[in-house]
Amino acid sequence: MDFLVVLIPLIPLLAAIYIGSDFLFNKNRKGNREAVAALVARSAVSISCVLAITLLVSDLSNNNDGFYHVGQWLGSKNLSIDLLFITSGYSVIVATLFSVILVVVTRFSTFYLFKEPGFIRYLFIFCLFSTGMMLITLSGNAVITFIGWEMAGLCSYFLISFAYDRPVATINATRVFVTNRIGDASFILGIALSFYYLGTTNWLDINDMADLLTTATATVIALSFAGAAFAKSAQLPFSPWLARAMEGPTPSSAVFYGAVMIHSGIFLIILLQPIFEKAPFVMALLVVVGLFTALYSFIIGLTQTDVKSSICFAITGQIGLMVAECGLGFWELASWHLCAHVIVRGYQVLTSPSLVFSVNGNPMRQVSSHLGNKRWLYNISLQRFWLDPIADRTLVRPISGLGKDLDYFDNNFIDRVMGSPASAATAISSLTQLEQKISPSEQNNDLNKLGRGRGFAGKLLEWMAGAMSWFEERLVLRGIGIEMVDIGKQLGHAANTFEKLLLKSRYLVLFVFVVLMIASSI
Amino acid sequence: MGILSLLLAAPAIGILFLALTPKQNTTQIRFIANLFATIAFLISCWLVFSFNIHDGTLQFEQQFIFNPKLGSHFALGIDGLSLPMVVLASLLTSIALLASFNISHGVKGYHISILLLELGMLGVFLSQDWSLFYIFWEVTLAPLFLLIGRWGGAQRHVASLNFVLYTMGGSIFMLMSLFAISQYMPPHSSTLMASMSVAAQSMPKDEQIWVLFGFLIGFGVKMPIFPLHGWLPLAHVEAPSPISILLSGILLKMGAYGLIRAIVMLPDAALTLQPILVFIALFGMIYGGLLAWRQTDLKAMVAYSSVSHMGIVLLGIATLNLTGMTAAVLQMTAHGLIAGAMFLLVGLLYERTHTRNILDYSSLVRVMPRFALFMTITLFAAMGLPGTVGFVAELHTFIGGFQEWGFLMVFLGLSILISAAYAMRTIGMLFTGPVKPQMREIEDLRTPELIAASILVGSILLFGLWPSLLIDLSSATVNQMNDIISLSIQQD
Repeated sequence: MDFLVVLIPLIPLLAAIYIGSDFLFNKNRKGNREAVAALVARSAVSISCVLAITLLVSDLSNNNDGFYHVGQWLGSKNLSIDLLFITSGYSVIVATLFSVILVVVTRFSTFYLFKEPGFIRYLFIFCLFSTGMMLITLSGNAVITFIGWEMAGLCSYFLISFAYDRPVATINATRVFVTNRIGDASFILGIALSFYYLGTTNWLDINDMADLLTTATATVIALSFAGAAFAKSAQLPFSPWLARAMEGPTPSSAVFYGAVMIHSGIFLIILLQPIFEKAPFVMALLVVVGLFTALYSFIIGLTQTDVKSSICFAITGQIGLMVAECGLGFWELASWHLCAHVIVRGYQVLTSPSLVFSVNGNPMRQVSSHLGNKRWLYNISLQRFWLDPIADRTLVRPISGLGKDLDYFDNNFIDRVMGSPASAATAISSLTQLEQKISPSEQNNDLNKLGRGRGFAGKLLEWMAGAMSWFEERLVLRGIGIEMVDIGKQLGHAANTFEKLLLKSRYLVLFVFVVLMIASSI
Repeated sequence: MGILSLLLAAPAIGILFLALTPKQNTTQIRFIANLFATIAFLISCWLVFSFNIHDGTLQFEQQFIFNPKLGSHFALGIDGLSLPMVVLASLLTSIALLASFNISHGVKGYHISILLLELGMLGVFLSQDWSLFYIFWEVTLAPLFLLIGRWGGAQRHVASLNFVLYTMGGSIFMLMSLFAISQYMPPHSSTLMASMSVAAQSMPKDEQIWVLFGFLIGFGVKMPIFPLHGWLPLAHVEAPSPISILLSGILLKMGAYGLIRAIVMLPDAALTLQPILVFIALFGMIYGGLLAWRQTDLKAMVAYSSVSHMGIVLLGIATLNLTGMTAAVLQMTAHGLIAGAMFLLVGLLYERTHTRNILDYSSLVRVMPRFALFMTITLFAAMGLPGTVGFVAELHTFIGGFQEWGFLMVFLGLSILISAAYAMRTIGMLFTGPVKPQMREIEDLRTPELIAASILVGSILLFGLWPSLLIDLSSATVNQMNDIISLSIQQD
């Protein structure tokens, strides 16, 4: 029954393609387009779920080989990336669980969002996301997992900015996506390191060869994947993105950040258990990060007043606990914790709007007095440990400043040197501007009245005066006189800018990097 | 304390008094500034009367060392070359102050700047030590920068910056030349002009030429000579009218004065550079005249005519003979008076009409007969009509130039023709023609303005009709300078 595993991610993908192309190319059909799309999405996810259950049953009855090799996706000398799926063990359990949740949420959202603007878009993204999640859980190759990982991240970006006409939504989406990209970079680094040290990118092979690794190499590899997991599972210091991600529609929040995608980080850690066990430092790091995240979420969660935010911090808290469990070596506990959390939290987020309704008139429990009296803690909690401003100050602003500087450089130097066309902003657009531009000729009119001579001598005088005036204007006044002042001003301005830039920390950092690069090349 | 120190002290004490006066008391400030400017003028008049015109050497000398290591002296002295300039400087400062009654904002700073400028100008003409000369030379920069940059016209910032950049650039060359000479000074000697000239004579010929070239650039910027005049039109047009009077009346003469001193110091080199000087002078005269002819802006016209007229000074210097030198000295005074009067009158006109475009004016003679009289005489003087001081200077230049180069002086005649063209045209456009409605209600000159204008125009006529007054004042010194030059030239 191993071959079924191919269909599990494939069917949602086909559904996504169908919904997308239907949306793009069948403009004329009216009325039940949305119903058809909903039907397609629902059945695709359901079929995929049934297949997953079948796979799980077959695995439980020991009919599976453990992996299913489809073929080689990419091969280049030593590097070979196989289209390989895992068909047994924890991966299948999680995949099944996820697919069940996906079915539930698909059904929920077809009712919840039906006929709302962007419904078809939502379904398309949702199907794509299902594919991505199934790839993450079932793929036996790190690269394919990464593809799923990216698909999930991209879909999350699309869904946070679901209401893309609201600037806040798009800003949050970008912020979340960029934060996740840090984890992605870490993931790629992990893949590269495991290929470098182990010569393979297949999860099973990596795990098998874990014993051959020295502690140092295992630490480096585990650290990379842990970084990816921290970012995806909103652990410290990446936690703030989760609160921003709650911008999307409720069902998507449920499935992305309540139940499914948020767990892919911890799933990755559990998947790479042998590697992590070889790296005691990373294990310790897991404990520290997990516990701190739990504490952080607990403290902030105490002051949240809206249901989505409090649930959001509960999620990071629980996942922090899972990470800590992994770090302490309680892998079994973490696995069960994950599955339980998926179910409970998925339900909780889905029902969060009605949760508000049902707790109406039922006052919140007071925070215990010795905690509640600590004002500094209250302040910290309200400010969410200032993580966002810190990130802004240390990363976002220097980089955007660098971007601005480069843009300036581009506009003022590269474009000028390359001779790109002048921007339309400076072009003449109205008749008044044109007249203003031509108006100096009025002075010439004056001159025509004045600088006139009659007769041969007069004409000679006129001509000579004209020539000398040209010389005076061009060379003496403008060339040496005004131009000199202008050039002096420009030079002074440039020197000022240079000085200012030198004092900025980002250029200091850049300078250090350059020095390090030079030093390392020597 | 010598009389010359007293002369220098007058504006300095004036500045001190002004600094202590609260800035709200504008009447008091004007009074103090005028008082001290008048004191300086009276002292310089007294100098004229007690000056021995038969003695060509320095008079009223006084000196003490203020930096023994460098050998720089606080040395003051006056001779026939500097005396007319000193009188002119103090006279024009008084007139500029009389013309400044319409300055309404920053009165205190304005008057302090003018007195500081007077101090610098007097110091330049009085100092007999090159280091002191250089210090006073640079002292004039700061007040002018402020005066143009703060009280000037629309483009004042560009103009003042431009002026300072040009002049500083020129001073650097002057300073380099001075350093070059100081290389040849015997140890423990002073930077007195007399000892510097001795040192300059001991230099190799080619170095002398370079040094003179440096001086030519340094003083030429101020004078201005042809390619270095870029600051002048802007500065003259943008400066407030009283400052234009001082700029063209005295500041330009500082350049010419320094150049004469430098040429007397380096006669051999001057002989070598003579063709270049003549070319620059003639070309600059025609160039300035043609451009003046083409200007619609009255102030710009006067500014370019200054370029043309200072060319006459340079031509006189370049002849290196007695008549030519006399012409240069005469023309310096003449142009000081003429340009001063011209800027004064144009400034007064601008105050009334707020336009400087010649084409806007017409038939002013009906409403401002007194103004018309003074302006016409001044313009006649500018084109060198006999009976005015301009004629005396031009005649001398012509004779001196003719002795040296013969028919090359056709170009001098040409430039005088051009200046006649624009002067006559300006008279025609200002005072004749159809009556324009906006030119009907213009007030004629008021009494203080009348006094100021009549002093200048009166001097123009007086020296034009009785030139020996002016010539005798400097003839002894010019003779002496000519002896030095011709002696040195004959030795070669």
